[in-house]
Amino acid sequence: MIQTGLIPNAHNDLVTDASYDFYGLRLATCSLDQRVKVWQLDENTGSWSLEHDWKAHDAAISKVSWAHPEFGTILATASFDRTVKVWEQISSPDLDGTQLNGAGPAASSSSTRWVERAMLVDAKGTVRAVEFAPQHCGLKLATISSDNCLRIYECLEQPSLASWQLEQDIDVLALPTATPGARTVAHTMASATPTQTSAGTDGNSASLVAHALQQQASQNQLQGRPGLGTREADGGWCISWCKDKYWGEVIAAGCGIDGVVKIIQLNSSGRPSTLLSLNPAPAPPAPADPKPANATANANAANGDDASKTFAITSVAWAPSCGRSYHLVATGSRDGHVRIWRVRPPTPGEDLEGDADEVEGKWGASIVGDFDDHKSTVGRVEWNITGTILSSAGNDGRVRLWKMTAGNVWRPAGHISVEQAEEQQGEVDAEMAVEDP
Amino acid sequence: MSAQQSTTTVHLAPPLFEQGAAEEFQKSGRTVSFAASGRDQTLAIYAAPNADPQIRRSQAPPPEEQQVYLASCQRPPSSERRVFVTDTSIIFAALQNLLKKARGKNVNILQSEDDMQVVTKLANDYINFCKECCMYASQNISRTEPLQLDAEHYRRLYTCFSLFGVLYMPEPGLENVPIGDDLMEWLNTHFIEPSTQEGDELSSQERPWEDPAFWPYLIRTSLRGLSKASAFFLDVLSKHPSPYLQSLAQQLTPLLTNQPRLRHFSAERDFAVASRRWKDKVKTLRLELDRVPESEREDDFENWWDRFSDIVGIVEGRGDVIKKVCAELGADWKEVCAVWGIFVDTRLRREDLPDVVAQVLDEMPPDPTDLEDMIHSSLFLGKPRQALSEAAQLDTWLAAHLADLMEPIELIDTEPDDSELSLRQHYVLEYAHYLHSDPALWRITVDYMYSCGQIGAEMADQVLMRVPLHLQTSRNAAASAEETARIRDGQLAGVLKLVNETCYEYQREEIRRMVCRIAAQTFIQEGEYGLAVSYCTSAEDWPGLGRVIDLVLEEYIAQGPANFASLVAKIAPSLHNIRTDAATKLRAPAVFLHRLQFAVRFAEFHHRRAHADGQSAAADVVAMFREEIAPRSWWAVLLCDAVELLQCNDAMFFSSSDACLLIQKLEETHLRVAQGSGDDYLTVLSRVVKGGEKHALQRLQTVRLSLARYYARCGAIGVGGRPSGWYH
Repeated sequence: MIQTGLIPNAHNDLVTDASYDFYGLRLATCSLDQRVKVWQLDENTGSWSLEHDWKAHDAAISKVSWAHPEFGTILATASFDRTVKVWEQISSPDLDGTQLNGAGPAASSSSTRWVERAMLVDAKGTVRAVEFAPQHCGLKLATISSDNCLRIYECLEQPSLASWQLEQDIDVLALPTATPGARTVAHTMASATPTQTSAGTDGNSASLVAHALQQQASQNQLQGRPGLGTREADGGWCISWCKDKYWGEVIAAGCGIDGVVKIIQLNSSGRPSTLLSLNPAPAPPAPADPKPANATANANAANGDDASKTFAITSVAWAPSCGRSYHLVATGSRDGHVRIWRVRPPTPGEDLEGDADEVEGKWGASIVGDFDDHKSTVGRVEWNITGTILSSAGNDGRVRLWKMTAGNVWRPAGHISVEQAEEQQGEVDAEMAVEDP
Repeated sequence: MSAQQSTTTVHLAPPLFEQGAAEEFQKSGRTVSFAASGRDQTLAIYAAPNADPQIRRSQAPPPEEQQVYLASCQRPPSSERRVFVTDTSIIFAALQNLLKKARGKNVNILQSEDDMQVVTKLANDYINFCKECCMYASQNISRTEPLQLDAEHYRRLYTCFSLFGVLYMPEPGLENVPIGDDLMEWLNTHFIEPSTQEGDELSSQERPWEDPAFWPYLIRTSLRGLSKASAFFLDVLSKHPSPYLQSLAQQLTPLLTNQPRLRHFSAERDFAVASRRWKDKVKTLRLELDRVPESEREDDFENWWDRFSDIVGIVEGRGDVIKKVCAELGADWKEVCAVWGIFVDTRLRREDLPDVVAQVLDEMPPDPTDLEDMIHSSLFLGKPRQALSEAAQLDTWLAAHLADLMEPIELIDTEPDDSELSLRQHYVLEYAHYLHSDPALWRITVDYMYSCGQIGAEMADQVLMRVPLHLQTSRNAAASAEETARIRDGQLAGVLKLVNETCYEYQREEIRRMVCRIAAQTFIQEGEYGLAVSYCTSAEDWPGLGRVIDLVLEEYIAQGPANFASLVAKIAPSLHNIRTDAATKLRAPAVFLHRLQFAVRFAEFHHRRAHADGQSAAADVVAMFREEIAPRSWWAVLLCDAVELLQCNDAMFFSSSDACLLIQKLEETHLRVAQGSGDDYLTVLSRVVKGGEKHALQRLQTVRLSLARYYARCGAIGVGGRPSGWYH
């Protein structure tokens, strides 16, 4: 691994998010300083220069996302000011006086500028994530905010980008953990034990109870920690779209402190449904169910009395499926774990078969990688474009890489640190060939 | 240092915290975060807040300047390495072609001697490239770019690949031939012992046997089958003071130089006979050696008898002697194995080798810290899976290309594992992934990926769709102005052309269309509507085409007729193409074609009007209504634009029936608006006059007046307008 460059003086305050465009030729950054900056790569020299810089929101910006280029050059930003804004880059041969919000070119040579096309104000909390849908879904975006609502917007007038319809407004925590027909992961993992396969709708209600217990537990926990315990501080709100066309519009969302990522199927016509919940902790034994929690999930159990304690998922990333029959979804959590879930959709056509084996027709998941190397909150996970390398970042000041090796085993593949190296600084510099800004 | 995994850790500079101060870093309210680039393997890394911003703000003051670090998990191939990967990709492509053809003909290449001949040749090509690259890297010359990897690295690739060739890729028909000679040749090529320097030093001496290096040298040359060197020094021993040794040496020489080799015999029987005779002679020599009295067995320096006995022991094929001698000489397990095939078991075949090697390795294990040695031992042991895993640690190039050869010759399983990739696909994709660290190598990156089944193909799609098209004139002016100009002329050129070709080659129509849609979008942004239309058409993106037309018509509303007409003039050729293509292959839905036709016709109308060609302009207006090209929302605009022609005093451009048609359309518009369909009929005009429906209706009043007067004029002169106009 090597350091290939440095952008000094990127922002005046901490950077909250960065996102490469489709080609990786531009990098959009946003910051606590309420500004968005777009950096451009010089392919010949490998250096980055500031192309645009504008104040985008009235509070810290949490996330920035690029739309697919076939819709134009479009960015969406989410902010703690409870809004999401959609921006478009346009060529500006003449700077006429139309009231376009800010976004003047940073460099005088630039013949383009960014204009605000829409502001989405539905959130009743701070907006923590925004992500454009994969291009085959059309020009859509998803947002999630601290009001625990996942919102899906669709652009109605494509060239103008002015009108965005709130297509779905989903209270993620209120959405049943598993609709009949889908299963929670705890049950899925128990599928090896035949006695557990009877879960069905019972399992569903059981998980609702479990959910209620969990919420209660977390509230208690918060009450027990005065001062620190604002829900916003301990929570995590994250989304990631399924990139695969076949399954329609599916998104993974995590919110609050319940430590669960829900895989949600969005139907433009009907109600959204949870296909699956990714829950690393086993469901606590429901009072109605005398059977002990399944043994297979014990491997992932938090130890002992901590079992009811949950940790927020801070980041979720859905890998491009790239022709695999299964999906890979990675989560980063405040419990310090990076988890790689192998999510298996139902085999097409099996539903028709009916009851031969009830489990076959459902979405299922298992953990194929579970790493606690960060030993502290994991703030971000992200896949490469082929879904073969996962990167994660944690409070330990490191970005770690995870790679699938032959035989389908996930292994660490190095890390990048902002900690001072052991060697003399001079040697480090020499080895790294840092470019001069 | 291996090629890619040179370091698994990188410390970014400047660091954000002192060594071991992670806790303070956290307390300062910071964490790290990153974004991953789809262009290569780059990550953009930055310090981020680790808590809710409002809370954090109260804890810590905003830190000083913020930087974004860029780091890559791969060192992209450069210098000699780049040449190496691009050159060897040609061999790879040739092999894929061969296999594709064989699959097409349903031939198992293992059964086809011709095909196997080619595969063997291609394997040799790889070996030769390793050799050449090694030689190039070891030259002491001045280079424009420093070497990325040293000669030692390529030497390792060379030894491993050529060992694979020796063990697994024999010439067709020679699979069952004893392997001893080939192994010894491999050993002598790559691990030269004894050194020539030693030989030179010894040969310059009058009495070399007095040199402690003499016997080890002679034993080594005997082991290695270097019969000329052995003969030379055995001849020197004719001057040795011991008459016994003189005589023994003389007898040993022909035994070393004339050891029967199976390859020199056309019939196995002849070889067997010759071997038996040769062995008899060895026995005789041993007897004679034993007859040397104890007292005569030493010279002033050494017990020459023991040494000589070792050589005879080697020739006799005594395994214990060979192992002992090798240990004394510091030779490793490889040497023992090679010697085994020469002296111990002269009929040692490929399939017997692993048993022998396993025994040898029990006593002389390979060096676990030396990947090269580990790969060699795995190959010797017939453990291709193991060899690949070690090769991948040395260089993914090696693992990928070995695996690519191992699969067709059925050394490794073709069945996918749990990850749904076969072993070959796994290593080839890992290598392709390494290539992707240099975006400029996208063509070979996707070549490798597309050879890996459905999963590989979809991975390649991800790379292919992200190849920057460089369509923007402004940004690329200097780089390839000519190319851009050609694209602007409507030709496929540059990257766009290459991407298109690749899509065709691998039948990735969906990707081709996406790339075309993106290109169309770029052209739309730049106002190049003509090109946008061609790319939408190529992508069969009809809604996109509809949007382009809307944008063009929008120009009319925003900028007026003059701009609009010149814009559309550029689209006209594209429209023509759609018309001709429509007859053959394209199936553009009529609705989009209709809108496009209207835009073009409407523009033609304005062009003629502007150039005072009133007659033709009038014909356009009428035709647009009569052929029902004009959408209802544009009727009012069309009527308003016709006023100028109606009011022309010099000529009458409309026949009375034309005028009737216009009146009819005007009346229909009025009627519909009165019925509440103003949105359908007046929106565009309302925007053109920059007022509401009321303004639009006022404007239509002028149309009504002009039409009424015109119709009256028609009546006054009888029927129709006269071609020459109407004179007062």
